[in-house]
Parts: sequence; C-alpha cells; structure tokens
Amino acid sequence: MEVEISRRRFLQGSVALSVVAVGATASIASKGEEKPKIVGNYGITKTSKKEVVMIPTLCEMCVNKCAVLARVEDGVVTKLDPNPYFPKSKNMLCPRGNAGIQALYDPDRLKYPLIRDGEKGSGKFKRVSWDEANEYIKEKMVKILDEEEDNRSTFLFCAGEGMAEHTFKTFYQAFGSSNWLNHASLCLQTVVSGYGATLGTYPSADLENAQYVIMAGANRAEAIVTPDSMDFFKRTQGRGAKLICIDPIFTNTAAKADKWLPIKPGTDLAFVLALTYVVIDEKMYNLKYVAENFDGFEEYKAHILGHKYTPEWAQEITGISAKDIREIAREFMLYAPKAIYYPGRRSTFSKNDFQLRRAMAIFQALGGGIDTKGGLIFGKSLKIEEHEGLSPLYAKAESRAIAKKDHPKKGEAGYADCAIVSGGGSWIGWRNRFLEGKMPYKVRGMFVYKHNPVLNMPNSAKTIEMLKKMDLVVAIDTMPSDTVLYADVVLPECTYLERTDPVKTFGGSEPSIAQRNKVIEPLYESKPIMDILRDLTAKISKPIFEITKKYDEDVQEAIEEDGEEEVYADFDLTKPFLHSQEELNEHAVAKYPGAAQILKTKGVYYPEMDKLFKQLSVNEYQYYPENSKFYSVLGGKTKMASGKVECNLASLADKGVDAMPTWKDEFAFVVPAGKFRLLTGRHAQFTQSGTSNNAMLKDLIDENYIWINKRVAKQKNIAFGDKIEVSSRIGCTVLKAYPTEKIAPDMVFFIHGFGQESKGLNMAYKVGGNDNSVIEDTIEPTYGSSIMHETNVEIRKV
Amino acid sequence: MAKYAMVLDYKNCINCKACEVACKEENGILLGANYHRIWVGVNEIKGEYPFLNIASHTFYPSQCQQCDNAPCQEVCPTRATYYDDNGVVRVDSNKCILCSYCMVACPYDARYVDERTMTVDKCNFCSDTRLARGEKTTACQATCPTKVRIFGDIEDPNSEISQVLRTREHFTLKSHIGTEPKLFYVK
Repeated sequence: MEVEISRRRFLQGSVALSVVAVGATASIASKGEEKPKIVGNYGITKTSKKEVVMIPTLCEMCVNKCAVLARVEDGVVTKLDPNPYFPKSKNMLCPRGNAGIQALYDPDRLKYPLIRDGEKGSGKFKRVSWDEANEYIKEKMVKILDEEEDNRSTFLFCAGEGMAEHTFKTFYQAFGSSNWLNHASLCLQTVVSGYGATLGTYPSADLENAQYVIMAGANRAEAIVTPDSMDFFKRTQGRGAKLICIDPIFTNTAAKADKWLPIKPGTDLAFVLALTYVVIDEKMYNLKYVAENFDGFEEYKAHILGHKYTPEWAQEITGISAKDIREIAREFMLYAPKAIYYPGRRSTFSKNDFQLRRAMAIFQALGGGIDTKGGLIFGKSLKIEEHEGLSPLYAKAESRAIAKKDHPKKGEAGYADCAIVSGGGSWIGWRNRFLEGKMPYKVRGMFVYKHNPVLNMPNSAKTIEMLKKMDLVVAIDTMPSDTVLYADVVLPECTYLERTDPVKTFGGSEPSIAQRNKVIEPLYESKPIMDILRDLTAKISKPIFEITKKYDEDVQEAIEEDGEEEVYADFDLTKPFLHSQEELNEHAVAKYPGAAQILKTKGVYYPEMDKLFKQLSVNEYQYYPENSKFYSVLGGKTKMASGKVECNLASLADKGVDAMPTWKDEFAFVVPAGKFRLLTGRHAQFTQSGTSNNAMLKDLIDENYIWINKRVAKQKNIAFGDKIEVSSRIGCTVLKAYPTEKIAPDMVFFIHGFGQESKGLNMAYKVGGNDNSVIEDTIEPTYGSSIMHETNVEIRKV
Repeated sequence: MAKYAMVLDYKNCINCKACEVACKEENGILLGANYHRIWVGVNEIKGEYPFLNIASHTFYPSQCQQCDNAPCQEVCPTRATYYDDNGVVRVDSNKCILCSYCMVACPYDARYVDERTMTVDKCNFCSDTRLARGEKTTACQATCPTKVRIFGDIEDPNSEISQVLRTREHFTLKSHIGTEPKLFYVK
C-alpha cells in the first residue's frame, strides 16, 4: 500500500512562515504601548507538568460555540482542550478552536480606545482614555441627533454573529433606532427562511443515524458544523451512511462521498425538482406521511408533473445525468425516513436560493424523514430566562430606512429591492440605497460590533464609500480589521477568553445549556461589550435625553404630567447594563437548581447530567441514553401553525414570490467564452476574515490560492504560485494560482476572508485575494440576500 | 510500565489539521512548515474533471511511527534517541549533537531540527506534557473532531487499543523494512 508520508504538505511548499516582529510598522498601533504578554514564539508555549484547574468556556473562533477547557498557568493560557461535557461539540476542538490562544495573544490586537487622527482609511489613530473616547462619541451623537431633531434612526447599528450580539442588540433597541443590520442577509437568511416557510423552522439533521445523505453545496468536512461533521464522517465510506456529494468543485467532503456529482453552479433547484418529479411520478413517496402531514400536495404534484421537471429536462440544465437523478431519487426513498437532503448552513449562492430551500424541504418531507430519528429533527430546548431589554418609543424616530413601493399591485413585491424584509435586513440593499441617496431621511452615524462589512459583503469599494460618508463610525472589535480602518472611534473589546457571555441554551436531540466563562482578566485596556456599553450609556444617556426633551412632544407632555424624573426613568439607557453578565446568567438559569454553579465548574448543564453523562470509550461519551433522546417531539408534524408541510404558499404569491418552487430560464448557468464563474467558500482552517491574522492558522495555509483547472492553466502558461489578477465589472484582486483538476475548466474558486488592506494586521496585510472586491453586489429577490456565485470573471497572469 | 501505541482510524480523517495545531500548542512547537511533529498526508487526486478518482484522494494522518525497532535509535551515536519505560522512542536534548543521522535513517521523514534546543525532535506521544501529568490521551487524540486516534497500552489486553487490534483489520507503514511501527492504521 502506497501511503503519502511526506512532511511537505499541501499548498505549503517550502515557504516557512516568517514570524513578524511584534509592533513593527503598523501605524494603527499607538505610541507608548505596553509589550503584549506573549510567551515563547507568539503565544505558543509548551504546557508544564503541573496540574492546574481547567476553566470551562465556549469557543468563539467560529459560529459553533464548542465547549473548551482552558489551561491557565501563571495567568497565561497555555492550552485549549475539548470539554467532553457538551453534547453539541462532543469532546472535540477543531484547528481554529485550538488556535484561539493566538487570537488572545495576537500582538496586533486592539489594545486601547482610539480616535482617528488622519484621513479616514489612513490607519492613523491616537490613543485615548475610555472617558475621552466616550466623550467624543457623546459630542458627535448629541450634535447629529440635535441636527436631525431626535430621529434616532439616523444611527445604523450592525453586528456580526456571536454570543454577545444579544447584548449589543439590547443597546440599539434601548437607543431606539429602527436601523439594524446583521449578518443574516450575507449568510443563511434564505436557507433558514426557506425551511421556516415550509416546515416552520430550520431543523437539525440527525447525521448520527441517517443512512443516506445528499449533501449539495454544503461542505461539512471543511466548513465544520458541530455535531454534524463529527457524527457523519465516522460513518461514511461504507460504514453506515451513504453520501452523495453535489458540488461544482471537488471538496474534502467529496473525498468522503460514495458519489460526487459536479453540478453547474446555481442549478440545484432543477436537480431537486427532477428528484421530486421521479418520486411523484413513480409514486415512491411516503403515502401515509404525505396524506397526514402535507398541505397543498395535489397542487404541488400538478405543478411538478405539469412543468415536466423530468430527469432528462434537468440533465441539460444541471450537467447531472438523468440516470444518476433517477437512481438518487429512488435510493433516497428506499432509505427514507433515514435519508436526509442536507439543509446546509451557508450564504446565498444564487438568486433562486429561497425556492431551492423550499424544494429541498418538501423533497425531504416526501420521504417522511421529518421529526424522526435519522431524518431532519426539531429536537427540544431547555428554557432559560431572557435578559429583559428596554424598548422606549420615540415620537421622532423614523421607521426603518427601507424603500416601500407606493402602490404595489397584488402579486408584486412590496419593497423596492426585495419581497420581504427580515429582522436582520438586507445589508447590500441598505448600503446601496444609502450610497444612491435613496434614504427616506439622513443616516449619519453607525455602530459596528464584531463585524467587518468591508470584507464580508460583495463590493468592498462601496462599503468603504459608505463608511467614509458617515459622520460618525464607532467600531467595537478585537482586531484592527479593514472596517476598523475607516472608524472614527475604536473601542477595544476583549476576546472571548477574557469575558463571560450570556448563557445560552442549545436545542437538539440532546439539549443542554452552556456558558462562556471568563478564563483570564482582559488584557491591555480591552473590555467586554457589557462593560463598554455600561460606560458609554452612562455618558450619553442624559445628554441625548435632553435632545429628546427638545423635540419629542410625547415626552414633553409626559414630563408635564409625571415630572421629568419619572419619565427619564423609562428612557434611561443605562438600565440594561447595570448588572454584571455573571449576575444575569445566574438569574437566567435560576429555575434549574444548582445549574449556575455547574455552569461555572463544568461549563455545561442539563437536568440529571450527573446521572446521564458517562464515558463510553476513550473517545466517546453518553449524554442522554438512546431511549431518552429527543428525536421525535411532534409525532411527525411540522412547526408550521397548521402542523403541515406547506407546499403552496399563497401568502408568498401576494408578495410577488412564487407560491411553489419554480424553475426559470434566467437561472441557467452561462459563462461567456474566455470568462470563468467565480466560486467562493471555506477551508477548515479559517473563519472568514476574522481569523486571517491568526499566526497558528496561517501556519497551516499561508494564504488563499485561486483554483484553476489544470488544463486551462497549462494553456495559459500558469504554474503553481504564479500571481493571477482576477477581475469583474466591479473590481479586481490578485492572488496565487493553484492549478488543479478539482475544478471545471469554466470556473475558478478561492476561499473568502483574505486580501485585507489594514496595515494594522501584520500577518494578513495584503496577503491573498479578497473575493468581495470582485463579486458583484446583486441580491436575490425574496429577502435581499447577497448572491455569492453569479459573477463571471476574467483571469490574467501578472 | 506500559507499551504505548496508537491506532489510526484513518478513514475518519477530514484533513482539518486540528491535531497539528493541538500538538504545536501542547508541546510548544515552533511555527513554520519545517517544524511539526504530526501532519496529514494527502495524495494529489487522480483523473480529469469531472472524472476524478475519489478513492485516490485519501487523507493519511502521520507522525513518528514509534517503531519497536527504530532505525533512528540504532544509528544515534550518542544515545540521545532512546526507548523510555513505556516503549516510547524519546530524544534527550542534552545528548543530541545534531549529527542528523537519525533524520536520514528515519524511513518516515518524522524528524526535524528544533533550533531552540538544537535537537532533532519528533513526536513523543506527549510523554513530557500530558502523560507526565497523568493524563491518558495525547493532544492529537483528544482534540480530533472525527476521533481518528486511539492511544493506549498494547500490553494490557483489556485496553481499548488492544481490543481494536484484535478485532479490526489493520496495517503498518513500510512494514517490510522491519521497523515494527506502533502506529496501526485500521481499515
């Protein structure tokens, strides 16, 4: 047996990482700063022989929130180990989780409050005290709100995903702006809503028990989701679960598949419709389940058969043979209900994404694999008390800056750029309206929390323009990102290892509650968001109430009636931040005796954990015995109000959205000769732009490379490592070439999150290419989510 | 006294490299491609798009094979490389003279120079970190998302590793050269 045992690793070449000198040329670093507390080279220390108390916490290197045990020696975090108590992460920690130490000890971290001291984007800041920073924010806010006559919505609030997002959200709600944008429209809005509109919720996939899985456009071997990734790949390759991988590129997930079918990008909807056609035409669906739990099945059947969504029809569109489509449809139903069309968790690839998700949910349900072991499950959640916020009403606050159509006809979208506005809004739609002067009122300031809009959404140039146009940009972050570069005030948050976050409940077949506990005290002058907002609101609450008094007639009347003190009490911005996070967490779990203490010592709690939790083998643990797992909670019903699978949604049709998933010719995959379709995605070693300055992760893959088909590369005389300029209608980026047969001749691919322009990031500055300087900023019609995979590009060796 | 070995259920491996990072953080290994005790070997995929050979694209986690008959130990002129009481092939940095014979002798390319200690270093099953603290797992095993690794004592018939080796088909790398590796790849 020939086995590759070379030390030389994929894409690593002989280029060793040159460790950058600490505090080198970054102009974002201010003068007279303390030496960061780093031991060894970067934060890498050999652990000692000492026995120490391990502190349980939760990871924040990506969205999964895996349970961690942190080893602290003499105040220094020397190792992060998996915490076996958590049923969601099941005793594991991925490369990013392990490299969390480097996020903590990153010498480029934001260490002190900063105020801009040069042109926006120059990266010139001066170090100030927290009080000076808050004073500066207060003065600007008072001025803007006075000029805008107390229209609180003149401030935009936006945040990335995270456990403390809730705390920040409390701030914007208390402040009273209606402009809130989060990552949803850049992330999983369409998938969550597609399943939500069909099954009533976005379900979990029981990959521990499924016997047949179609993974289309989801890459669980590289975009790790817990527990899915761990449950599944122990059972692939003839060991219990058959995997059909549908992906235009050959990923590590494809490497684990029984069958890999390269599909033309953006045509998955045709594939699912054809699968549906086969099972309806051959009457292979679960007759009992459909009869009991479907709404509108006859209409859907007529729709599918009437449109003749046959495998032969889909073959032309998708590039997947009719024979394969038939075989997969039949096999899926053979294994159903222990068969899963995997919902996925990722950004919107194409304009039909919402309808694709609906079609997937319905196809899944045709096999009866809903709310059942081995299928899609709803599971159970352990209830905890919510932290109550403050939602005062201001008379002068305008409603959300969205453009409604004046007189929409029935069956037409109600809004100018999308049919439905979700809680998190449409980031691209909002930004572009702002730049095009289409706002119903002036938006002049923004707060950006743990969010990097410059890198995280298509058309970086436009985001930069937006940031430059704002009179006040306050960025709260741990790293000097490309967005921080354009801030007026920078408030340094501490990393996840230096703070306790809101306790969180994790639903599923094995529900639990878990808590991120502070491992060490915040370094430098950084603070947790709770403390940042406590200080900031103490500074701004009264002065901006004075503005309200001046313009808000309701408030004026109320003061006449009840006196100012009583009225102010309702509007006091500081109220949500009076208690410490630790106190709030104790309150949140008070109904479970002993839980607060267990969460501090073990990090995880669920009822009777002490009796149920058991080690089964050197690697495996039992959380709940098999017969008490929550696979089935509704007896097969869905979470829709009707309890049914909704095939035909007339309410959507009223808004201009197809009531049933329908293929349109405009969805076809077309690449003009000489151009390439740009695809983007993830490797397991990075989480978008957030980890690009992590020394340890950069040690694994030094930068992102553009995948070009080998034969095309040969024709164009492109070799591994050659610099390639990728350009589209909106811009260009340069990165190194990786010729490979894992991609089609008319496509190119590179991972997202590289090509940063902030000099404050010594490891990431100008390393690799930024996909969002090339991807065109178009949005899909339902929720206004950004489309990631519809840009054609040219490539040129430079 | 034990005889430590490791089973690798290599088909579980998704090449995420969590093991590499855990090893570096636990054992304080230098950054850089030339410095690592463990790695994942990947073969370049065979075939032309779209006719790719899935089976050719397998991930093989690898490291020092902890040979029972270790060529690196045999050639070491200063006995810096030695077997400890648990059968683990270890390196004594005080005795290493950096002659690099061991690097040439190792058929698995498992050794590298640690320039801080001027020692030809390699995997030691976390013997001076985790095992020294009484822990029962190596860093790579504990962290692995898909649980590729089982570490344990093959002289104890009741250990999980012994049971796996009795019941599952397995192979060792380059077994024909007589190194008697204690890393077992199960099929």
